[in-house]
Amino acid sequence: MALRNRLRRAAPIGAVALLLAVPVGACSSQSNQGTSKSGPLVIGASISLTGDFADPGKAVKAGYDLWASTVNAKGGILGRPVQFKIVDDTSSPDQVVTNYQNLINKDKVDLVVGPFSTLLTIPASQVAKRYGYAFLEPAGGGPKVFDQKLDNLFFVQPAPVVKQGDVFADWVLSLPADQRPKTAAYTELDDPFATPIAENLRSRFEAAGIKTVYKQVYPAETQDYSPIMAKVVAVKPDMLVGGTQSEDAYGQVKSLVQLKFSPPFMFLSNGANSPVEFPDKVGAGNTTGIMSSGDWFPGSTAAGSADFAAAYIKAHGGTADSIDNSSAEAYAVGQVIEAVAKKTGKIDNATIISTLHQGSWPTVLGDLSWDANGAPTGSFHLVQWQNGKLVPVFPAATAAGNKPLFPKPNWGSG
Amino acid sequence: MSFLRGGAFFAALVALPLFGFEHWVMNLLVFVLIAAVLASAWNLVGGFAGYPSLGHAAFFGIGAYTLGLICKGHEFASPYGPFFWLPVVGLVGALIGWPFAAVSMRTRADVFAIVTITLLFVAQTLAFNLRGITGGAQGLALPVARFPVETFEWPYYYVLVILLALAMGLTFLTMRSKVGLALVAVRADEDKARGIGVPVTGVKVLAFAVSVGLTAMVGGVWAYYQSFIYPQFAVDPLITIAMVLMTFLGGRATLWGPIIGAFILETGQQYLAYTLGGSRFYLIAYALVFLLIMLVLPRGIVPSLVRRRSA
Amino acid sequence: MHALIQGVILGVLTGGVYALMASGQTLIFGIMKVINLAQGAFVILAAYLAYQLFVSFGVDPFLSIPVTTVVMFGLGVGVQVLFLRPLRREDKAELSLLVTFAVALLVEGVLSVTWNTTHRSINTSYANDSISLWSFQITEVRLWAFLLSLAALGGLYLVLNRTRFGRAVRATVQNPDAALLLGVEAQRVSALGFGLGAATAAAAGSIYGLLYPFNAGSHYDLISRLLSIVVLGGMGSVGGAVIAAMIVSTSSAVVASTLSPVWSEMTFFVILLLVLLIRPQGIFGTAGRGAI
Repeated sequence: MALRNRLRRAAPIGAVALLLAVPVGACSSQSNQGTSKSGPLVIGASISLTGDFADPGKAVKAGYDLWASTVNAKGGILGRPVQFKIVDDTSSPDQVVTNYQNLINKDKVDLVVGPFSTLLTIPASQVAKRYGYAFLEPAGGGPKVFDQKLDNLFFVQPAPVVKQGDVFADWVLSLPADQRPKTAAYTELDDPFATPIAENLRSRFEAAGIKTVYKQVYPAETQDYSPIMAKVVAVKPDMLVGGTQSEDAYGQVKSLVQLKFSPPFMFLSNGANSPVEFPDKVGAGNTTGIMSSGDWFPGSTAAGSADFAAAYIKAHGGTADSIDNSSAEAYAVGQVIEAVAKKTGKIDNATIISTLHQGSWPTVLGDLSWDANGAPTGSFHLVQWQNGKLVPVFPAATAAGNKPLFPKPNWGSG
Repeated sequence: MSFLRGGAFFAALVALPLFGFEHWVMNLLVFVLIAAVLASAWNLVGGFAGYPSLGHAAFFGIGAYTLGLICKGHEFASPYGPFFWLPVVGLVGALIGWPFAAVSMRTRADVFAIVTITLLFVAQTLAFNLRGITGGAQGLALPVARFPVETFEWPYYYVLVILLALAMGLTFLTMRSKVGLALVAVRADEDKARGIGVPVTGVKVLAFAVSVGLTAMVGGVWAYYQSFIYPQFAVDPLITIAMVLMTFLGGRATLWGPIIGAFILETGQQYLAYTLGGSRFYLIAYALVFLLIMLVLPRGIVPSLVRRRSA
Repeated sequence: MHALIQGVILGVLTGGVYALMASGQTLIFGIMKVINLAQGAFVILAAYLAYQLFVSFGVDPFLSIPVTTVVMFGLGVGVQVLFLRPLRREDKAELSLLVTFAVALLVEGVLSVTWNTTHRSINTSYANDSISLWSFQITEVRLWAFLLSLAALGGLYLVLNRTRFGRAVRATVQNPDAALLLGVEAQRVSALGFGLGAATAAAAGSIYGLLYPFNAGSHYDLISRLLSIVVLGGMGSVGGAVIAAMIVSTSSAVVASTLSPVWSEMTFFVILLLVLLIRPQGIFGTAGRGAI
């Protein structure tokens, strides 16, 4: 009887003890690195190493690591070696908040850089803002990111996601009127990236007089693209604009092949810019003529690009064609940090925040600059599949001599 | 006796922030409390009534979006404003849960589980597709709370302590009341219970409505803490899994079981994810812990610590 | 009209695959009164196996089915013996649901560790070929899948009705106590029955991998569809599951073709709700003990 009562009492007391044990245990294990002006420059990052975003997450980590080793070989930043503290957020927004809390307040890292995806960037950037940390991020470019109006946030890509398709519209509308498509169909994935791109294109094309003959927004769980693509085929558009990510891009192309319809103009915002995955999934003979947009491509003459590609191949093997854009974007984040240190001689958060809102900063993605809300003010490149390779075709200045191929040849012709 | 224990526990909880813990600790405690209230709420339906609902996350999401919509339509002068609307959020959750339970609880427990899983996916689909209301895949922004940075987590913490007290109070009442007795009867043998006149359906539906009302309120707090919600995270099967696992670990149909389960699992999970990071094995570990508990400790921790009085 | 018929064609072809998956699920319930929440995960596992055999050895997924069937059968028996049999009688009803759920998570975890989270699909040379019939396109892969599903279901029917084991299974489904009295070994039937249910996932997995891109997390969507089908058909009735699969699949495809793909996902829930309101025991379920 006595034992039982004692055990009964133990339960809630145990709970309180547990409550206290965690913070007490944590208090004593505080690491004091990062507050000194010498010693390694510790940069914290929460990356999706497991969960839904694991694959691009790993590419981001590869980019950060590559930059760290490159810059350390040159003596580090302001004489301090760069050290990344990378933690896994399991692709969860709760974990990402906890991670940045821990990085900033427990481990007291010097700087933080962003996670993968707009979905995780938004909650994470709030945490960084609260504690006055600059937030350079390679992968959160959806419109809501900039709606937050955070002055500490900088999206390290040439343009916000919404504008990713603009370069395609620029090209189409630069063609003489009789060569332009007259009708267009829009197939859009319901997702913070894909839909805004396609909608932006649609408003530009409609304003230019290209008739919208079909539009469909489909959910992420869609597995069967045949019903949607069948409706596209039924109206035989001159141009197909796909606001896509990866799986749905493959699905759309495969459906079109099965339905035996090839639109003369075809743009897929993502998926088609995957150098290895795309031909693997849709068939190498079906890629020619499909257009997409990208920020980095092999053979780019942007600052540090050749070094980046060489270092990547040395570390991971493969060829320049197999490099994931996410790695280039992460690498660019590092380049920006390096550039701020070089220009101002300082590398604290306040300096970064005040410096990056003006000027143009050279990276492997081209020269970047940002507005007050962290939205970059440049534009992407238009890329197209030709002869089994993804090449830049527009604008001409950066197209390395390649010209856009149109109308798109039929399926299976190369 | 139990009032003393409960009182001591809550006094400790209330006093905790005054110890000046670091932000990351407070952050962790907020998530732990969220887990504790959720597990406790689930316990009402899954533990006491014996109906394993695998779709509670749908109501978590409903709560999150309800508060989001309230904030969208209402300019709050004070950052504490949204908290006062939580009871409305809870009511909305309960009102939606009531007819759902009335239809789906006419069936047996295992079919009920199926229906709740399906509800979860429907809720997620609706969250994605009712773009005009929920913002769809673009997500929904809540106003960023203008609490002072130093004590940012405190308001959330205290609101959650209140919700926990509410959940535990309701659980306590259930255990000691006629409703509780009725639920025990339902859980033991529903046909017999109906036979002797226990208002079986009414009692089940009541438990469900209360449970999801609480869940919705927690969803609201979570949404406000995150200040931005997406459909796939607000309505996430992993939330349900966590609730179920914590209750099982701690002990179903007990007062303290879900709390203990929540403290152990949530702290463990966040800590492990942060320190071990990059290890893909965490889902496997989760599943193995789950299986281990069910095979070795089917009653959970609390009842196993205490030798059960024969019913 | 064209879209409607195209939708019906698509629905019927896909229905065959779902029928196969659901038949295993409903069979397990019939024998053991256990809802196997891991059925979706089994299908995905089988899809990965077929994928790996295709990628490493060039074996066509249809041809690797005999191999994967044996593997999945063994797995099913193993799961039943290791995780379900040890459950104590009084816990069984409540816990078996959660145990199978944990098994699903375990399978998902192992799959994501082994193959990471990239979506895979089995791209055979004929993957994009289609046959034109009047003005309708019928994807070759879907047609073969449909025919194979019919063959597999036929095989299942033969096992259930023409073998001693099958008779034991049916006896256990109809009346477990009487079956025990008549000498049927309940434990053995349960284990082998679970194995048989898992084995249906093997063929379904090869087909699934050919039709859709999948990764470790794909089982959630799959299991919720399967569950609706099983409830609609009547828990424990294989014939019911087949018919229900056709109904649900066709309605879903028709809604996608004629209205909008957005709402086709909801179709199966609407159907489920209607079933629960109008006829809770499903099409072929028996009201009263044993079913709902």
